[in-house]
Amino acid sequence: MNALTPNRPDVPAPVGLLAELTHRCPLRCPYCSNPLELDRRSGELDTATWQRVLTEASGLGVLHVHLSGGEPTARNDIVEITKTCADLGLYSNLITSGVGGALGKLQALYDVGLDHVQLSVQGVDAQNAEKIGGLKNAQPQKFAFAAKVVELGLPLTLNSVIHRGNIHEVEGFIDLAVKMGAKRLEVAHTQYYGWAYVNRAALMPDKAQVDASIRIVEAARERLKGQLVIDLVVPDYYAKYPKACAGGWGRKLMNVTPQGKVLPCHAAETIPGLEFWHVTDHSLGEIWRDSPAFTAYRGTDWMKEPCRSCDRREKDWGGCRCQALALAGDAAATDPACSLSPLHAKVRALAVEEAAETPPDYVYRTIGSNVRSPFKEDVNS
Amino acid sequence: MNAVFPPPAPTPDAAESQRLLSPDELEAALRDIGARRYHILHPFHRLLHDGKLSKDQVRAWALNRYYYQAMIPVKDAAVLARMTDASLRRVWRQRIVDHDGDHPGDGGIERWLKLAEGVGFDRDYVLSTRGILSATKFSVEAYVHFVAEKSLLEAIASSLTEMFSPTIISERVAGMLKNYDFITKDTLAYFDKRLTQAPRDADFALDYVKTHATTPELQRLAMAALTFKCNVLWTQLDALYFAYVAPGMIPPDAWTPGTGLIAEAPGAPAAAGIRKMVADDKPRLPRGVRLRHDETRGKYVLLAPERTFDLDDNAVAVLKLVDGNRSVAAIADELGRTYAADPRAIEADILVMLDGLAEKRVLER
Repeated sequence: MNALTPNRPDVPAPVGLLAELTHRCPLRCPYCSNPLELDRRSGELDTATWQRVLTEASGLGVLHVHLSGGEPTARNDIVEITKTCADLGLYSNLITSGVGGALGKLQALYDVGLDHVQLSVQGVDAQNAEKIGGLKNAQPQKFAFAAKVVELGLPLTLNSVIHRGNIHEVEGFIDLAVKMGAKRLEVAHTQYYGWAYVNRAALMPDKAQVDASIRIVEAARERLKGQLVIDLVVPDYYAKYPKACAGGWGRKLMNVTPQGKVLPCHAAETIPGLEFWHVTDHSLGEIWRDSPAFTAYRGTDWMKEPCRSCDRREKDWGGCRCQALALAGDAAATDPACSLSPLHAKVRALAVEEAAETPPDYVYRTIGSNVRSPFKEDVNS
Repeated sequence: MNAVFPPPAPTPDAAESQRLLSPDELEAALRDIGARRYHILHPFHRLLHDGKLSKDQVRAWALNRYYYQAMIPVKDAAVLARMTDASLRRVWRQRIVDHDGDHPGDGGIERWLKLAEGVGFDRDYVLSTRGILSATKFSVEAYVHFVAEKSLLEAIASSLTEMFSPTIISERVAGMLKNYDFITKDTLAYFDKRLTQAPRDADFALDYVKTHATTPELQRLAMAALTFKCNVLWTQLDALYFAYVAPGMIPPDAWTPGTGLIAEAPGAPAAAGIRKMVADDKPRLPRGVRLRHDETRGKYVLLAPERTFDLDDNAVAVLKLVDGNRSVAAIADELGRTYAADPRAIEADILVMLDGLAEKRVLER
């Protein structure tokens, strides 16, 4: 039976759940996708609640669960939660830094039926990688973790977030992925929300570097066909059209925060005035279907021009709402990453300008810091 | 090449069908026309299928056939223009969508262009239609005129060659992949779609003809229309045979080998590492890849790292048998028994599908 569609054909069934089990993480990457205000351990959902959330997700049609964080293995019940996924037939994807307690829990995770591991690598050169991640001695831990994943026969994806501090290492990431025995590599240019937005000037590469990185990836794809699958995410600011954020707002994915708040995407809390519901107050189905945050930008009714009459409106769904807010000052505006946005030229000029300057120091993510965005009104003032 | 090809038998004499046929008899008579006259029987197609053509002869076929593909939406728009019933138009317009796609880079014509590029043509040269045989153009244009000028019943009946096309497509894909190392599954993407689109289209058209050919006279017109269409296809292969096989008389202005091509990369290495799957291989889904029934959406999906593959019924039937013990040949045999089809044709299709999954690293052997 389908819990959603009988009376609401406009609400598609979700396919993926990003479970941010905790915001705790040994790394301090300056582009972290977690919000600036991080949840503390004391407020995290307990095991039973996560298990209920997963059961409800399965009933709604979710197929993939991304066990993420922070560092998901920082939770003592990560094995139990993974087992619940397996029992429900949900595809479990562990998104991990591979440091701290990750290696010690891997065998148990394998035994209960973990499906896939996505391991982050910050750089190829250890010194550079550890500067970016803000943790000494992280690189050898990651290598040991990757070796164990492959030894167990689990599929491994390496995830590299690309920015001006490591864009010279793209070829190296590809070699590393092959050497480690990964099946997939994500070469993901930084998306400038949250911490990455704060650190944008330190992270933004220039256009020539971006183009070179794309050429390297395309050549490697051809060379390594059948051996390594490479997914490339290009930086928004240099793109022609925006990405469909999370596959379209409230269409495919939902994100549950460590405290149980359910978001249409991990950055949605940056939009003021949105009302998010908690799994402790409502069922996941109610939240997906009816919560104000999910209905706010679902479909196309909320759109303004140029989205409203655009042929692509059901392809990219207007792009990213959070980026529209950050750059255009209006969450219902066309994502300025889109070349059809009246602000696009300005955004692009900004990227070029920042990339040309000497990068400032990173603002590392920490729990309890009081960080304000330095770019409050940089485009739309 | 001196094989003797029996001339196709003529259409049953009109006198035989002076009486009104039942709808099922009419269908049988229409199918009989295909059994005798469809271009699957043409010598050129047999050569193509059996791998007996040179690369340039395959190119000539791909180039000329492009003209037919490109004109199909023009033909269907002419049919559409004659339909006064919105419910008919809603069905028929899907054919135009299938061929033109919803955006640049999509649709059947585009996939045919990919095929032409796949065998070495410069895209702009194909689009220019400069090297197309005049006979190809004449027969295709005769088809467009036919549907615009004859009755709607005849226009629809002339499309019924689609009833026979799944067979020719299966044979063609199987034969071409097996016999030509310059043909890849990507090149043949056009046919993947047609395997499902053509039967859907044909079902509708056949139903229409059976319902609307209500007198002996109308039934004869429908049969004649289908015969005409068979001849449109047959004539195109005659012209190809004449120009590029024997006696090899290429008309002035038609494509000559060596022209209209993009420069071939010298010794471009084949895709690294992974060899193609063969019939003896025993495929299996590795850890982290699972076939699962999705109750919410009522279909099977293949769950894999960071992605979900939507599967058509054929793929599901194959993957249910992929267990690391059965060989590709054994899977094909089993499906051949289940679906009463030629296991070797199925095998070629399965190999294409499995290679696609292996390349994405979600299938091993």
